[in-house]
Amino acid sequence: MRKFNAQEQLGIEAGLLPTEIQRRDFLKLSGLSVAGLLIGIGPAKGATAPEEKPFEPNAFLSIQPDGRIILFSKNPEIGQGIKTSLPQLIAEELEVDWKSVEVRQAPLDNRYGAQFAGGSTGIKTNFVAVRTAGAAAREMLIEAAARRWQISLDQCFARNGFVIRKDTNEQLSYASLATAAAKLNVRENPVLKSRKDFRIIGQSIPGVDNAQIVTGKAEFGLDARPRGMRVAFIERCPVFGGKIKAVDDSAALAIAGVEQVIRIEPTKNPTQLVAGVAVIASNTWAAMKGRKALRIEWDLPAELPESDEALRSRFEKSLESTEVLRDDGNVIDSLAKCKIVHEATFEAPFLAHAPMEPQNYIADVQADKADLWGPTQVPGSVRQRAAEITGLPPNKINVRMTRVGGGFGRRLMADYACEAIYLSKTIGKPVQVVWTREDDLQHDFYRPAGLFKLKAGLDENGQLVSWHLKATTTSRYVFAGSSSPAYQTEVFPDGFPAGFVKNFRMEYAPTSSPVPRGAWRAPGHNITAWVDQCFIDEMAQKAGKDPVDFRLELLGEEDRLMPYSDHGGPVYSTRRLKNVIRLAAEKSNWRQAAPKGIYRGFAAHFMFGAYIAEVVSLSLKEDGTPKVERVVVAADCGLVINKSGALNQLEGGIIDGLSSALRQAIHITKGRVQEQNFDDYPLLRMKDAPPVEIFLVESEEDPEGMGEMTLPPLAAALCNALFAATGKRIRKLPIQSRDRVTT
Amino acid sequence: MATIKLLINQKPFTIDADPRMPLLWALRDVIGLTGTKYGCGVSQCGACTVHLDGNPIRSCSIPVSSVANKNITTIEGLSPDLSHPVQQAWIAEQVPQCGYCQGGQIMTAAALLKRNPNPTDKDIDAAMQGNICRCGTYPRIRKAVKTAAQLAKATTK
Ligand code: FES
Ligand code: FES
Repeated sequence: MRKFNAQEQLGIEAGLLPTEIQRRDFLKLSGLSVAGLLIGIGPAKGATAPEEKPFEPNAFLSIQPDGRIILFSKNPEIGQGIKTSLPQLIAEELEVDWKSVEVRQAPLDNRYGAQFAGGSTGIKTNFVAVRTAGAAAREMLIEAAARRWQISLDQCFARNGFVIRKDTNEQLSYASLATAAAKLNVRENPVLKSRKDFRIIGQSIPGVDNAQIVTGKAEFGLDARPRGMRVAFIERCPVFGGKIKAVDDSAALAIAGVEQVIRIEPTKNPTQLVAGVAVIASNTWAAMKGRKALRIEWDLPAELPESDEALRSRFEKSLESTEVLRDDGNVIDSLAKCKIVHEATFEAPFLAHAPMEPQNYIADVQADKADLWGPTQVPGSVRQRAAEITGLPPNKINVRMTRVGGGFGRRLMADYACEAIYLSKTIGKPVQVVWTREDDLQHDFYRPAGLFKLKAGLDENGQLVSWHLKATTTSRYVFAGSSSPAYQTEVFPDGFPAGFVKNFRMEYAPTSSPVPRGAWRAPGHNITAWVDQCFIDEMAQKAGKDPVDFRLELLGEEDRLMPYSDHGGPVYSTRRLKNVIRLAAEKSNWRQAAPKGIYRGFAAHFMFGAYIAEVVSLSLKEDGTPKVERVVVAADCGLVINKSGALNQLEGGIIDGLSSALRQAIHITKGRVQEQNFDDYPLLRMKDAPPVEIFLVESEEDPEGMGEMTLPPLAAALCNALFAATGKRIRKLPIQSRDRVTT
Repeated sequence: MATIKLLINQKPFTIDADPRMPLLWALRDVIGLTGTKYGCGVSQCGACTVHLDGNPIRSCSIPVSSVANKNITTIEGLSPDLSHPVQQAWIAEQVPQCGYCQGGQIMTAAALLKRNPNPTDKDIDAAMQGNICRCGTYPRIRKAVKTAAQLAKATTK
């Protein structure tokens, strides 16, 4: 199997980064937008006397002679807290007081390497490089001080923005050393601090934009307002794969403020442009009204329109011709001999991402350059698309990052940016494309739907000796036309309980569909953990064993490193997995009987390098629906960079897991999505949000991500708790499906 | 088009707009106050919450002409200097993730505390029910509302 590459799996293009960022363009443009959006990497205006120079040994930091210490955060901030945690890494090594730093969002610039938010990789892939940038600067400042004092390097050290002379305790501020340090050769291999000396890493540092957020000043994509900007709303073909037949735009053009109506023809690749008609107006309301006034005749695809029923029968058909991904022992023979054989079928629906900030993007395409900004997880892909659409060389395309009002994988796609780029190029003016919530729910790249059939067997001692999974999903790689195998990020042949069941077979077949699919928080795992951890629970029950003991027994006494060829590998540790299982059991008092009327369910999962175990406690309301009373989480995500930020992410994953498992599903009828807004695609609200208690394992291991890991086991722990409460297994999500229960 | 007089964050504005334009877009596009957010457009999410004479309303679903001359407060006008107890509490409890919903959450919480300085969990649930947080910061929001109640008491003593 091949090595996991996060960027590749997320479909993020590399290699089109320009050799020179257009710095001057950024400064020049700053007059065009509200303050704070545009960033000059160079010296701040008016800050320095002519002979004084800022110290900027790399793109990550700038020490100004006036004392300001500016740290740049390279990746998009989508709510994962990266704009705080990455600068923490720089500040730690730079040896500055956190309170004295100013953090800015970096633009897309090849000096930063890959810049994206996806796969929970932001910290783990930058942990060394970003600290190295800070450490190099620290060593150069020490060298500048040593030269000034004419003493050796080991006679001084750095602390809190000063270099201190050991013998006399004299201090030189970084500001006073900036000009001299700027003249030194950049340190190539600085020595990183030892972890026991960390003062900023591991703390609970508030989000750097929190004050801006609570005063309404933080700038999201939707808030950017370049001068002369037009607003565009687009009526897209409601049926996937349709085209425009005819447009009557006379009523739309008659509306005050509406300027133009532009047809958008679909690109071959459905991740770029879909068929739509754009109304360009001087303001949002006019564009919205204009769009409503359009009369469009669509040319619908000739083949039978997609529907939930049609897809369900294609799933069954797919399972007749699967590919075997893993085959340990002999599952067929073994099942024939097993004392107890148990089968179950699990079904998961399409899900929408529904980030709180609807899709939007601004493009200002001019003859010789383009300026782009808006919410994206993949600024590099946006630039590549822009180069293709405009024909401009990538180094003439400036991509700036605003705060992003949620990602969840939706903004790994650049479709809405393509729309803005295409429209701006066509009309020659800056354009902001804005999606309504209805657009967002109806034109998403949905979490793949899937059907999973399991059959497992216990021997006469109640040991799990056989496990046979046949799975199919609407693979997102097939949709995107990727050359990667269809099963990847859909099912995980190395995932638990593989390797612990003597006879184990995993089969998979992709199912095609015109419904667009993409990465949705914890891709693949968001279904497989539910399926595996529910079915393990069923087998524990068949064996008459406690679900926690059953898992621990399977994992075995001996600590092992299990091969794991997907993201988070190359191995995972059974010691760490058992540890979180035991910790969650302990903290939830699993070994004691639950209080009367409280029912508990357990699940544990390894993904993306992190180990998570969860216990859901619930009661039943009068109408029989669950009320989740408490969720206990044990998490081993390696070294924690920002304690409060980490807990926020892990809590968020639990709430999202609950939200999606309880009520969310995208239904397809006649080739289109039925759901329209939050009334029929319900998100969890305050009264249904339980207290979440998280126990982080103190770890010296390298840091892993935080944003996705707690979501996958939640649905399983919840369904297992519901079984404890009702004796009924839930094998189809969502639990409170609109076609099942009304609430 | 009509000329409409507005009173926003104590400041008078005279705008020329379609009287049916939702207050949300008048605030964002015409006045230039972008702290009030668009999330659903149909009174489902609360991202667009502002105060009308002290009561929380969904600005996406109210025509701008109907609030002429009335007292509108947006997140930008909640306090001049970050001093409102709800803002302080949101910072202390480190509530935001993406932050997009938080302006609306804060406006709803501020209105709650004004009419009920000692809200119970049930009161908080009921008041905050119309505000969605996609990132799932509800446990922190709940804590922050309680912290804000404490802070408000401390400052009025
Ligand atoms: S935008 Fe007004 S309630 Fe959602
Ligand atoms: S913080 Fe992101 S929606 Fe609430």
